[in-house]
Amino acid sequence: MTTTTTEHMPRATGRRSGRKGGFARSRNADRLTRAIVIVVTVLALVYILLPVYWMVKSSFQTNADIRALPPHWYPHEFTIQAYLDMTYVIPIWRYILNSIYVAAAAAILSTLIGCSAAYVLARFRFPGMTLCLVAILATQLIPPITRAFPLYSAIQSAGLLNSYTGIIIAYAGFSLPFCVMLLRGYFMNNCPPDLEEAALVDGCSYFSAFWRIILPISLPGLAAVTIFTFLNAWNDFLWASLLLNQGDMKTVQVGIGDFSGEGGNVRYISMFMAACVTATIPALIMFLFVQRWLVSGLTAGSVK
Amino acid sequence: MERKRRWFCFFMVLPAILFTVVLGLIPMFTSLGWSFLEYDLMRVQEHGTPFVGLENYRTVLNDGRFLRSISNTFVMTGLVVVVAIALGLVLAHVMKAEYRGRAIVRVLICAPWFVPPVVAAAIWAWLLNADRSPINSALMDAGIIESNIRFLTDSSTWGPFSIPLLSVTAVRIWNGLPFIVIFILAGMQSIPRDLYEAVDVDGGNLWSKFRHVTLPLLRPILGVLIMLLLITGIGHFEINYIMTGGGPQDMTNVMAVYSYLQAFNFFRFDLASAAGGLILLITAAICFFYIRTQLRNEDR
Repeated sequence: MTTTTTEHMPRATGRRSGRKGGFARSRNADRLTRAIVIVVTVLALVYILLPVYWMVKSSFQTNADIRALPPHWYPHEFTIQAYLDMTYVIPIWRYILNSIYVAAAAAILSTLIGCSAAYVLARFRFPGMTLCLVAILATQLIPPITRAFPLYSAIQSAGLLNSYTGIIIAYAGFSLPFCVMLLRGYFMNNCPPDLEEAALVDGCSYFSAFWRIILPISLPGLAAVTIFTFLNAWNDFLWASLLLNQGDMKTVQVGIGDFSGEGGNVRYISMFMAACVTATIPALIMFLFVQRWLVSGLTAGSVK
Repeated sequence: MERKRRWFCFFMVLPAILFTVVLGLIPMFTSLGWSFLEYDLMRVQEHGTPFVGLENYRTVLNDGRFLRSISNTFVMTGLVVVVAIALGLVLAHVMKAEYRGRAIVRVLICAPWFVPPVVAAAIWAWLLNADRSPINSALMDAGIIESNIRFLTDSSTWGPFSIPLLSVTAVRIWNGLPFIVIFILAGMQSIPRDLYEAVDVDGGNLWSKFRHVTLPLLRPILGVLIMLLLITGIGHFEINYIMTGGGPQDMTNVMAVYSYLQAFNFFRFDLASAAGGLILLITAAICFFYIRTQLRNEDR
C-alpha cells in the first residue's frame, strides 16, 4: 500500500511538473513565433510602403533634389512647384476627368445590367442557370489578352476607336461578370428571402418584388459594387492603351505615360511623381469608401 | 406560376448574358479562330486571311523568344504563388490579431490596392533604377553590397532566373499582396474559435494552432486562391509591359506581353492570337477546375 502511494506521488508530481514545463516551453516558443512574425511584418511594411513614400516624397522635391547622389530620403528643398507646373506639360485634370467619366459610366452601366441577373442567379433555380454561371465565370477569369485583338478590331471597324463610347463598352464588358458575381454573393448573404415572399403573397409580381423591395434595401451593396467596378476600370491600362490613346481623350493611366520618353526615361521626374500622386488620390478616396466591404465582398464573390 | 417564374428568370439574366457573350465569349473564340489563319496586317490587303491550320502555333513554338516567355511566365507565376501566399498568411494573422493601431496597419497593408498598377510599375522602375536606387544606397550603407545591383538591367542568368526577372516578380507580388491577404483573412474568419481554445487546453503553442487548426481549415480556400493566382498570373500583362517591355533580352518577357507586341508592334495578329490561344488553353484548363469546385460548393 505504502509503496504504491510513494510510487504514485512522484509520478503525479512528475506529470504535473511535466505539464508546467510544457506550458513554459510553449510560452517561450510563442515568444519566438511572435518575434518572427513582428520582424516579417516590419520588413513587409517597408516593402509595401517604400514605393508609396518615395512617390509622395519625390513629388515635393525639385528635379535636382530627386536626382541627387546618394539619394535623399526626405526633401531637402520642400516645394509644391511640381504640382503647379505639371498642368503645363500634360492636361492632367482633363485626363482625370476622362478617367472618371469612362470608369463611372462603365461601373454604373454594368451594375445596372448586372443586378437583375445577379438577383435571379442568387435566388432561383432555372434551366440553363449553370450554363449562365459558367459563361460569366469563364469571362471573368480568363485573361483579357485572349480577347483583346478581335475586340480591338470590332471597335475599330465600328468607328469607335478613340471615342468614349468604345472604351465604355469594352469596360462594361469586362466589368460585368465581376459585377454579377459580387452582387450575387451580396444578395445571397444580405437579403432574407422572406421579404419578397411576403410581397409575392400580397400579390406583387416577381419583377415588382425585385424592383420595389430588393433593390431599395440593397442600395449599400449596389454602391459598393459600383465603386469596386469603378476602381477596376480606373486602374486599367490594357484597354485604355489600345482604344483611347490619342490627344486629350486619354485616360490618366495612359496619360501619365506622356512624361516618359523612349526607354522609360522620365524627363520631368518631379512633375511625373506629382502626376502619379494625383492619379492615386481618386482611387484612394474610393478605396476608403469600400474598405469595410472588402472582407465580406471576398467571402461572397471574388473581388479582384 | 412555375412558367411565369421561368420567363421572369430568363428576362432578368438576358441582358447580362448578351453582354457577356458579345463582349467576352465571341471575341475569345474569334481570337482562337484567328490563330488558325494567316493574318498579317501588312499583307492582308493582297493576301486576305487564308486558313493555315496549326502553322502559327508551329511558328511561335519554334521562336526562342516565345519559349523564353513561356518559361518566364511559369517561373514568375510560381514565385508569386509561393512567396505571396507565405507572406499573405503572416500578414493575414497580423490583420486579424487585436492590438492598438490595428486599423492603421490594416490600411497600410492594403496600400498597393489603391495605387494604380501603372503608377506602381513606374515608381518601382524609378526605385530600381541602378544608379539612383535608394535600395542600393541603403544596402551599400549597411555594407551588404559593394557595387550597385542593376535590378532591371543586369544580364547574367542562372537557368531561368535573372535579377530583372526577380525584380519584376517582386513588384507583381507587391501588387497582388492586399488581395491575397484579404482573401486569406476572409477564410480565417470562418474558423470557429473553440478549435483554438481546444489547442489552448492541450497546452499547444501558437505554431501548433497554425499548423493543426488554421492551415488544415484554410486548405480549401488556399486551393481556390492558388487557382485564381495561376489564372491571373499566366495572363498577366501590365507590370511586365510597363516596367521593362519584356527586356532586357527577353528576361522579363511573358506570354501576354509577347502576344501584345506581336499584334501591335509587328502587326502579326495571327501569331499574337496563337500566343493568346495558348494562354487561353492553359487558363481555361485551370478555370475548369475552379468552376467545378465553385459549383460543387453551391450544391452542398
